[in-house]
Amino acid sequence: MLLAAAAWAVAAHASFAPGEKVIVLNSGDGSISIVDPVTKQEEKRVPVGKEPHHLMATPDGKELIVANAASNDLVFLDPKTGDILRRVSDISDPYQIGYSPDKKWFVSASNRLHRVDIYHGGSFQLAKRLATGKVPSHIAFSADSKLAFVTMQESNEFSAIDLEKQEILWTLPTGKQPAGIWMTPDDRHLLVGITGESHLEIYDWRAKKLVKRILTGLGAHNFVARGDGRHVFLSNRMANTISMVDQQTLEVKETFKVPGGPDCMEITKDGRQLWTTTRWIRKVTVVDLETKQVLHQIPVGKSPHGLYFQSHAPRQ
Amino acid sequence: MDALIAIWAQAQDALFESVVQPLVFHLGMTTWLESAFDATEIFMVGALEVAVLAVVLGALEKWRPVEVWADRRPVRVDVIYTLLVRLGVLPLAIFFLLLPAVEGLDGWLRMHGFIPPKLEDALPALFAHPLASFLAYLVVIDFVMYWLHRAQHGLGFWWALHALHHSQREMTFWTDDRNHLLDMVMVDAALALTALLVGVAPGQFVAIVALSRALESLAHANVRMSFGRFGEWLLVSPRFHRVHHAIGLGHEGGSRGCNFAVLLPVWDHLFGTANGTRDYPATGIRDQLHGRDYGEGFWRQQWLGLKRLAGRA
Repeated sequence: MLLAAAAWAVAAHASFAPGEKVIVLNSGDGSISIVDPVTKQEEKRVPVGKEPHHLMATPDGKELIVANAASNDLVFLDPKTGDILRRVSDISDPYQIGYSPDKKWFVSASNRLHRVDIYHGGSFQLAKRLATGKVPSHIAFSADSKLAFVTMQESNEFSAIDLEKQEILWTLPTGKQPAGIWMTPDDRHLLVGITGESHLEIYDWRAKKLVKRILTGLGAHNFVARGDGRHVFLSNRMANTISMVDQQTLEVKETFKVPGGPDCMEITKDGRQLWTTTRWIRKVTVVDLETKQVLHQIPVGKSPHGLYFQSHAPRQ
Repeated sequence: MDALIAIWAQAQDALFESVVQPLVFHLGMTTWLESAFDATEIFMVGALEVAVLAVVLGALEKWRPVEVWADRRPVRVDVIYTLLVRLGVLPLAIFFLLLPAVEGLDGWLRMHGFIPPKLEDALPALFAHPLASFLAYLVVIDFVMYWLHRAQHGLGFWWALHALHHSQREMTFWTDDRNHLLDMVMVDAALALTALLVGVAPGQFVAIVALSRALESLAHANVRMSFGRFGEWLLVSPRFHRVHHAIGLGHEGGSRGCNFAVLLPVWDHLFGTANGTRDYPATGIRDQLHGRDYGEGFWRQQWLGLKRLAGRA
């Protein structure tokens, strides 16, 4: 019994570095939950700002940026422990955020006010505020950092933004309520989660052409890489499922159940676990990627949205 | 406490996933999923709150009533107003009505380089103390509400609408939400502008919002209750607010009335509009004694409000 428990603890620990924490944004109560990945318990809950929805590491990996949409600021955390390090004000309504691959630009989608802001990556000085379609949501970049692609949930389209000229280059119509947008590792295709329907759409962005629609599940929403350079996971919020998509064959490999409204996801570096926020049940859900069974559901704060841990799988 | 939160979260999830989410999807409004999820909780809090108020304040009104009426029919319409407001129906409608203008103004300001400030900028300690932050916003909003309330009485066109609230002569805890729809829209628009100027309150204290609304209901209750010498300075009591509703006293005179505070009486003391009479006077509007009709049913009351606004009633 003791040996089994010790083996379990070692196995659970192996996915994470010693002392590492899982950081969860509770968008509904303005806090972050610090979760111990070994005990699978919330250790503490810390106020961070109003409506924290998304987070990402800085390009050097030394800090974690939390975007507080209603506080109009960014909060920087220690990516390992979640400790608050500093705060940058006057960032207008930051919802989704992203760095261009060359780290030159920091792009923020102002979901509520229909704007996309382009900041200088190092200083967070505003370079351009662009009026866009309605409800700009998720962001992806071309590998050469020339273009940012942003979905517009309410006007059913996505736009390509020229980062040098800082203007909208072109816009393509999509299905209803496009949300997650994902660039394939070969830089050829954009995958778009169609939240208002049950599929993802695949675009050849250079040809500005819809290539394919793939059925996944109701409320197809957000992406995360499996980390093997080939597969990507897609959460289907209303179907309560997650689909794994092959980025080479552009087909769904499998779909598995994750109750509670799965949203943002992280994959452990060893590829064994998928962690996802399940917003409607105020929990973080851990899935075993071998058996596709739910291992744990960890209570956190209200409407958990973004989550992060340092020992994540590669982003492609 | 954790067990209660878990039960509450399960109930919200069940209601949302089985009823609200499919409805939102079929309406083609999945962009609003998160808002619909929040609205589900507002509905649940409102339903629970109304049930608790009906039991607790209903018992208080039976225990120490100011007035006893043989015919309680005039109270019924106030129940309708309360349900429409507390269950979120009217607030939701007003939200969607005001949203384009508020978003348009906010977006325009930001395109011109203005990012609305927030209280936390002036008091950074509030970042780490959301409860203190919420209370700070509560004080600011209550201050704004005091002056809005003065305007509701002091401006002729606004009084034409707000008079509906004061026309209840059988005032009970249900009376708090008895308001003209246009009056509600104007107050909410002013509060949205306030949010643009000082930031928005933290969103995690739905329970405290419910508590402040419960206090407003108590303030309207048909009950002989004062909060004592110090308490009367701290929170608006049924005695304090009844004077505001009193015929010939609460909404007449040089400042067009007295005791305008919504939660914190300190504003009336600061600005010279407090009236400390210990009586429990009759409520209503003086011209009702001379036969002026403010209507009994919901739609009649709304229509007569518009006619008063146009100077035709």
